[in-house]
Amino acid sequence: MTYIRTHREEVSIAAALIVLASVLAIAAPGYFARENLSDLLLGNIPVLVIALGMTLVIVAGQIDISVGSNFAICSVAAGFLAKAGLPLPAAALGACVIGGGLGAVNGALVGYLGIPSIVVTLASMVALRDALRWQTQGAWVQDLPINFQWFGFSQSSYPTVVILTTTFLVVFFAWGMRKLAAGRAVYATGSHPEGARLAGIDTSLVVFCVFLVAGLLTGFAAVLNSVRFNQIPSNGGLGLEMKVIAGVVVGGAAITGGVGTIAGSVLGVVLLGAIGPALTFLGVSAYWERAIQGGIILAAVINYARSTAGNR
Amino acid sequence: MRKRAAPGVWILLAALLGQMALFSTIAQNFLSTSNFVEVLRFSVELGLLAVALTPVIITGGIDLSVGSMMGLAAVVFGAAWRDWNLPFPVAACMALLSGIAGGGLNAFLISKLQLPPLIVTLGSFWMFRGIAEGITHAAVNYTDFPKSFLALGQGYLANVIPAQVPVFFLIFAAYVVLLHRSTVGRTWYAIGSNPAGARYAGIPVARRLGLAYLLSGLTSSIAAIIYVAHLGQARSDAGTGYELDAITAVVLGGTSIFGGRGNLWGTLLGLFALSILQNGLHLAALPSELSGVLTGILLVSVISLEKWLPRRGIHRLDQPEEVQVKNSQVAVLCAAVLVSALIVAGTNVWLVRSVGRSPEEKTAPAVATAHRPVIAVMPKAKGDPYFVSARAGAEDAARELGVDLIWDGPTNLEAAKQNELVENWITRRVDAIAVAVENKAGISTVLRKARDRGIHVLTWDADAEPDAREFFANQATSEAIANTLTDEAARLLGGKGDFAIITGALTAANQNEWIAFIKRRLDKYPNLKLATIRPSDDDRDKAFAETQTILKAYPSVKLIMAISAPAVPGSGEAVRQARRKDVNVIGLSLPSICKPYVHDGTVQTVVLWSTHDLGYLTVYGSAMLVENKIPTVAKSIQAGRLGKLEVRDGEIILGPPLIINKANIDQFDF
Repeated sequence: MTYIRTHREEVSIAAALIVLASVLAIAAPGYFARENLSDLLLGNIPVLVIALGMTLVIVAGQIDISVGSNFAICSVAAGFLAKAGLPLPAAALGACVIGGGLGAVNGALVGYLGIPSIVVTLASMVALRDALRWQTQGAWVQDLPINFQWFGFSQSSYPTVVILTTTFLVVFFAWGMRKLAAGRAVYATGSHPEGARLAGIDTSLVVFCVFLVAGLLTGFAAVLNSVRFNQIPSNGGLGLEMKVIAGVVVGGAAITGGVGTIAGSVLGVVLLGAIGPALTFLGVSAYWERAIQGGIILAAVINYARSTAGNR
Repeated sequence: MRKRAAPGVWILLAALLGQMALFSTIAQNFLSTSNFVEVLRFSVELGLLAVALTPVIITGGIDLSVGSMMGLAAVVFGAAWRDWNLPFPVAACMALLSGIAGGGLNAFLISKLQLPPLIVTLGSFWMFRGIAEGITHAAVNYTDFPKSFLALGQGYLANVIPAQVPVFFLIFAAYVVLLHRSTVGRTWYAIGSNPAGARYAGIPVARRLGLAYLLSGLTSSIAAIIYVAHLGQARSDAGTGYELDAITAVVLGGTSIFGGRGNLWGTLLGLFALSILQNGLHLAALPSELSGVLTGILLVSVISLEKWLPRRGIHRLDQPEEVQVKNSQVAVLCAAVLVSALIVAGTNVWLVRSVGRSPEEKTAPAVATAHRPVIAVMPKAKGDPYFVSARAGAEDAARELGVDLIWDGPTNLEAAKQNELVENWITRRVDAIAVAVENKAGISTVLRKARDRGIHVLTWDADAEPDAREFFANQATSEAIANTLTDEAARLLGGKGDFAIITGALTAANQNEWIAFIKRRLDKYPNLKLATIRPSDDDRDKAFAETQTILKAYPSVKLIMAISAPAVPGSGEAVRQARRKDVNVIGLSLPSICKPYVHDGTVQTVVLWSTHDLGYLTVYGSAMLVENKIPTVAKSIQAGRLGKLEVRDGEIILGPPLIINKANIDQFDF
């Protein structure tokens, strides 16, 4: 039943994407130029990578709104580590570790102290962002090593590398969520925590781990995003959490936990990421963009409710 | 039926008293009636949202759209009054109706369609703000409200009590009756504890749930009207980010985010804990960023303490109490939290004092003759690289003149925070206040109040109303900036072609003014066409993505004009990666972050003034005002290392804007 329900959700997003694509094909064929699609893909990959972690968090019945602040900290950290003379892979690893560490703090507070995740991550969102502002005083990280941009690759080979890495991550998580015991434990914890506990699942550990993974992926996304540039602003990732959560939820994950797939989240992120630039191509004024995006989320949710109404 | 207060309330009360004890020792004039009255005034809008959110959260839901609802209601109110010429009561009713409509939409989706509140209100969070921006094109700012209306937000009853405070307590009382003394309130608790059980008990769950969201929309629109009266402006960005503060206050007050538990008195305490924290930090001249960090710590520690205490109030059957903690352990935990807060605040006070003052002042701080002038300077936003570089110049001047400099401002572009800081500085009795104004109409009222109290007032970067300040340190007029940019564009394009503008936030007042002047200047260049205006929200990465899209969606665009500091490197990088050598990038930004792009020829021209000099002039001018060295009829002043500067119509002119390009960029270090 769950499978059909989520499946239906994915089909309806895919349908929405097809409608969008056909409108664009008629009104603005330039949208499908190779460079545009590759730019869009590259620009949305950080959101996509964080959405993988967020899917785990939401399926486990939790939420993490601190990813935007975490993203900013990891970006700056990656820059400082690279500037300190560390080889690039080590700097990238360092950023991931910092992201994972901050995620682990959230996870410990939620999983082991039992504080609601929205409260914990609200607190860490505000505290981390202001702490970073305080430390950097708004200064950007500049004078990065020359090979920092494109991570030592060239501009033309970098996209291939990143797209392959991301595809691997997506496939791994999609497979793991369905086939691995750990993935099933996430679903079990999200659908019925008490039942999962009685069935022998260490639900505290599961919750801890989903936040840890979300943090690690946020750090990785920060690295992927930072290496596209040659300097790092100290206020990155503003509003990123909203983008990510919206993508995951439009992709059919239930905020109440237990329902959601990686494939759905990927589609959701792609749909939302495609719409913004599409509106530019269609000549829609920037002033109406936010209203349209809000409307789309509501429409997706209503559609979801209607498709599940029969199952209730 | 009598209940004992939840233990969380006592912890919070203890934390609140601890805060007050701390601030009364380290912050100047913290313990005074006038200060508490101002804290009350600034808590009203946030308080209304928090009060409205309490029943929503008790039912186990959430409403993220309250802040956006404020923006929408404020715009509706402004439009009804100015554009449709309706009298105030009618306009207010229109705003309230919009609140009911917005709340009703949430209510319908959540109670009738049974959608998760978090998702519904996340959608309406975007939609309400989006509609407000759409209606006003994010630029219209309704101002010039008559005094009689502004009295609601700025006036006093009996010369002591801010006018909006009774309104707040009236609504608060109504909510107390509804939540704690009526059957409706009981059903909210029942729904929050166990929705299915509530339905079996015959409670009309859908209707009661809907009522909570409807009231939340309505109360948000009341908050919007008070906000408009308070700041004297109605703009689509009203209440940005308030939802998070309001939720923080509610949760801090011991209301369980899972529903079923909590009360309004706790919310009131949580609200004061937040407001007093911010107020105390300002009065102690500690940086604003600390308030975010401390709020986060406060929130987590209060909630975890509460979690560890045995619950004596309502508790859920499915959550057996696992941990029994002894009173002594509670005391230790409380002490630990307070001590850690004290250490953080204490070390900072010590740091600030030791950096800011020389030793001899410490021994005799209160002696009037040894008094060093205190000059408080406010940027529009603290993290912005532009203002960060101005700070260096301000500190130079402070060192040179031997004055104490307080540098603080909102951590994001928020109009209400600027007013709050100025009020706090008045309470702290600084000698001069210099403000880079974000919101002209709103801040002028408090600046006038500062002048009435004998504090010298200067504006810099962006001006307030002329009678609200003595002088304006003017770096370059908006018209000069716009003309220079447009002329550069025309020169680079040979007077013919399409260009696009990347602005900051769509609501940014400065940028909107420049855009208006740029459009006017285009009359001179009939063949120059503005193809589109896109926002960057002052985010480098967003500017990058927007530029990438423009390059493909508008192939005819041959020039990008980025008028927000982080947007120029963003656009430059996009053009460079697209290898579009035929596209020029110009804009308004800092040389330091544009350097790589200017050197490789992607960015042709950066227009700016010396931010160092502007910061220097601001502090220098303020110090001269404190010593009464600038006569009102002055035609020029000697501003230290800047030499002789022209004074015209109450404005101290820094000079024409600099045109920075490959040839001269290495001369600038800001």
